[in-house]
Amino acid sequence: MDAQALQTIVGVIDKRMTRQVKQYLDICARCAICKDACHQYVGTDDLTYLPARRAELIRQVYKKYFDSAGRLVPALYEARDPDDALLDELYTSCYACTGCRRCMYYCPFSIDTQQIVAIGKAMLIAVGRGQEMLGQLADAALFKGENVEMFRDVLVSGFKDIEAEVREITGDPEATIPVDKQGADILYVALAGAHSIRPAAVIFHEAGVDWTISLFEAANYGYFFGDPEKARLIAKRFMDEAKRLGVKEVVVPECGHAYRVAEIFYEAWAKEALPFKVSHILEVVDRLIKQGRITVEKGRIEGRVTYHDPCQIARNGGIYEQPRDVVRALTDDFVDLIPNRAEQWCCGGGGGIVAIDELRDVRLKSGSKKVEQLKASGASVLACPCENCRLQIEDLNEMHGLGLQVRQVIDLVVEAMPLPRSASAS
Amino acid sequence: MPGAAREKGSTMSEEIKVDLELDLKGLLCPLPMVKVSQNITNVPVGGVIRAVATDPGSMADIPAWAKSTGNEVLSAEKQGNEFVFLVKRVK
Ligand code: SF4
Ligand code: SF4
Repeated sequence: MDAQALQTIVGVIDKRMTRQVKQYLDICARCAICKDACHQYVGTDDLTYLPARRAELIRQVYKKYFDSAGRLVPALYEARDPDDALLDELYTSCYACTGCRRCMYYCPFSIDTQQIVAIGKAMLIAVGRGQEMLGQLADAALFKGENVEMFRDVLVSGFKDIEAEVREITGDPEATIPVDKQGADILYVALAGAHSIRPAAVIFHEAGVDWTISLFEAANYGYFFGDPEKARLIAKRFMDEAKRLGVKEVVVPECGHAYRVAEIFYEAWAKEALPFKVSHILEVVDRLIKQGRITVEKGRIEGRVTYHDPCQIARNGGIYEQPRDVVRALTDDFVDLIPNRAEQWCCGGGGGIVAIDELRDVRLKSGSKKVEQLKASGASVLACPCENCRLQIEDLNEMHGLGLQVRQVIDLVVEAMPLPRSASAS
Repeated sequence: MPGAAREKGSTMSEEIKVDLELDLKGLLCPLPMVKVSQNITNVPVGGVIRAVATDPGSMADIPAWAKSTGNEVLSAEKQGNEFVFLVKRVK
């Protein structure tokens, strides 16, 4: 490693290492309790994926440059230069980490490995070793944000096509997907794909919600990449749009990290209080069902239904009951996975790993606990919010022959609504 | 699978040689963009990928990816329920 790259890495540690993270590095008792909590270590038996080992790589560099004992007697204090071997391992361990924070939940000191991993990603990005695909996805989102007029026509034309399907599903030729509606109650920030727009549009239409659709998508690859500034700018696209339109509520789709970015992180990143509330689509659907604004009927969904808590919605977002209440409104045959809620196993598909080809084997192996849970549930339908979780569990479903229907929750809701074409709404 | 595609909706009338065909039908965004990106180095510089997707989000995603990575979308058009892209590797 040349002197300049070394200086860059040391500078990143100096800037990003908060007192809290320093404390995490200092207090880790190396008890290895976290090894049994991390789906990746459990599924691979590979030390690279041990939560404490991920932190160890960063601790070694930190000790070498910021700890007087480590500086003086590096061998004794396991202090180490960030050589190529260290950076290669750091790359794998940081970009494989799904940020599920199950390790933190079980750690006796609540050490947040995800926060430590974020520093590892920042070190890698600073020396040009950030994950390329995630970086490209983030840059493409930023490009769309900076050139929205270039894409407006294709986006609106896409919404019109979906609108035609919504009219067919609802049987209402007046059903619309409003764009740029000033003063609407809700700005719905979907994913780029039609699948997250169509069922939401049906639900909003049937409930008589005053809504408008965002020109931007809620997915945030800047967050997965590990660049908080890019992540902020990607979210800022629709936060500014919401302010311009004067909406009362921004609603993000089922996607877990999109919720965490918009609701948990954005105000701190932007150093501003938002003049509207941010909700997850399932909080809104739960509200609409409980208010009697949409009708759902039990019996339309066949088979036993279970529910997967995406880590970013549940353990890291605090939403446990509303999605369950939604699913319970659709069926009498609901069974929870064991364990569940805050203790739910990560499926292995978060953190952007589904877009990283070279980590595919690790990803699939790391789903072993989820496969065990799904088999034990006896369910034939999995209600699964979060795009990343669904992609992972669909792969596991195929690989292990689970025979599950892996469904977006809002698709199940539309299927349970008495509509002219509800069964094929998804 | 190498093949040839005519560039539609353009004043250019010559055949464009396609170096790689990608069937991205059924993939949800952003996966069509991810697959194009993962495959761009499988064609030589100056080579062309013909990609067919069904998710309408790809109509913004793939051109945005091309612009931000310095590649070029020669054409992007809707054909029935499909979205057909000719993407040229520039570097
Ligand atoms: S459980 Fe906590 S204290 Fe124990 S090794 Fe893991 S991170 Fe360190
Ligand atoms: S956050 Fe999740 S994936 Fe990352 S080390 Fe902890 S348990 Fe493992």
